[in-house]
Amino acid sequence: MKRSLRTGLRFLILLVLIPLTLYLCAKADRKYYLSSLVIIVLTLSAFFLHFENRRPQAREMVVLAVMSALAVASRAVFAAIPHFKPMMGIVMLTGIAFGPEAGFLCGAVSGFVSNFIFGQGPWTPWQMFAYGVGGLLAGLFAQWGILKKVPARGSDFAVLGIFGFLSIVLIVGPLLDTSTLFMMVNTVNSTSAAAIYLSGLPVNLVHGVATLVTVVLAGRPLLEKLQRIQIKYGMME
Amino acid sequence: MRCDPFSRCHPAVNFAFFAVAIVLSVIMVHPVYLAVSVICAVLYYIALKGHKAWKVIGAMIPLFFVVTVLNSLFNSMGDTVLFTLFTRPVTYESLVYGACIAAMLVAVLLWFLCYGIVMTSDKFTSLFANVIPALSLILVMVLRLVPAYGKKAKQIAGARQCIGKSGSGTKRERLQGGVTVLSALTDWALEGSVMTADSMRARGYGAGKRTTFQIYRFTMHDGVITVLLLLFAAVTITAIATGAAQADFLPSLHIAALRGTLSICGVIAWGLFLLLPTFLHLREVILWHNLIYNI
Repeated sequence: MKRSLRTGLRFLILLVLIPLTLYLCAKADRKYYLSSLVIIVLTLSAFFLHFENRRPQAREMVVLAVMSALAVASRAVFAAIPHFKPMMGIVMLTGIAFGPEAGFLCGAVSGFVSNFIFGQGPWTPWQMFAYGVGGLLAGLFAQWGILKKVPARGSDFAVLGIFGFLSIVLIVGPLLDTSTLFMMVNTVNSTSAAAIYLSGLPVNLVHGVATLVTVVLAGRPLLEKLQRIQIKYGMME
Repeated sequence: MRCDPFSRCHPAVNFAFFAVAIVLSVIMVHPVYLAVSVICAVLYYIALKGHKAWKVIGAMIPLFFVVTVLNSLFNSMGDTVLFTLFTRPVTYESLVYGACIAAMLVAVLLWFLCYGIVMTSDKFTSLFANVIPALSLILVMVLRLVPAYGKKAKQIAGARQCIGKSGSGTKRERLQGGVTVLSALTDWALEGSVMTADSMRARGYGAGKRTTFQIYRFTMHDGVITVLLLLFAAVTITAIATGAAQADFLPSLHIAALRGTLSICGVIAWGLFLLLPTFLHLREVILWHNLIYNI
């Protein structure tokens, strides 16, 4: 596909297709599910098309692939501890080291690939989006200087851990619960929303704690290694 | 699944079929259309998995009932009150609506299971190699690296065992062990990534169009199947557009009856569309049995 075509497509998505979806789905039955799904798929496409248009270097792509593969494979590394999902922790560390865009892509790719193992489903686009947002936020907070590129002091670790926990419990988890809500429930009202979000809370808390432990324990060794590779080979700066 | 004829079709045909089947199943909340979708999904899943399919299909039945009940509890709108539970009225309409949503969920889940068997990752990446070349290459790499890292992690853990760090013990020790393995794995993986990237550049990555490992040709057979699928889909979509699949549940039921040529044609076309892969499968099974029988 031509580069100009991709740029055109991206503007078409952002300026025409997303508003059009909102307009059309407002009247349809199951409007929440359809419109949210279409908008999420379109947003992911816009992001991916932007990445393609940059013509990424081989080194950049390989590092992204390696970090996504590490995030997916990390589940097996911690197989001795049940219910321990370190994937989002690694996605966040990637975002901190390589920036928001890399964080988003790492999250989205990890979500997609892990579903090749655990099964694709109607939740796949949501998962890609939610994990991507987790990585993106970590990247943004690192750019603003709130999260340190290489944590050294105790306070850095505290901020990192709190960020990891809160971003899962407040953003990534609720995003996934929203997909359950729109998928399983025909009328979105306060009762159904409360029931779904509350039933998701324990899962999100466990996931949040796992992320906290991952970023605090693996934060320093991993971020040091990522920074070393950046300095040594001058990549992804 | 090499013994399934639909899986041997061009990936574009596979992907388009599942995209249309899943999207239309989500859009139409009409009991008849949903029932057709569930039945066809069950049949194709059995065709793909054989007797192993029953376990999953059995698990779908409780899911169906749980979602139906939950939905009717969440929603107390509807004219016909059946009974009152925890001070909330449960109505006939919301029960029917809940059952339809549950059927939709089951249909979508089953179609996704079939999709997972038919659309293998290599088909996906080769199909999208042109639209998103960089990302599909990343996907190919990740899909290859995940099992490789799993193996390497086992090696590292094995080496640690030799020095008395077994990775068992208290939770804290297990966590610490996991982090050490992860850290060693990261080091190894990142060094390898630089090698890979340099090797890619040396071999001219980005110099031309990337080709895919598997070559899928769009054959006459694919063309015939595409035309059939397009025909069935067009009839179904026309029927939907004219309101044949219209269904309002709340506050009172208004479900479009199956009356008139177009609305009956719509259901039949929808069924034929969804049954096509199962039909191809059955035809091959029968052909195979006949061939064996003739020997």
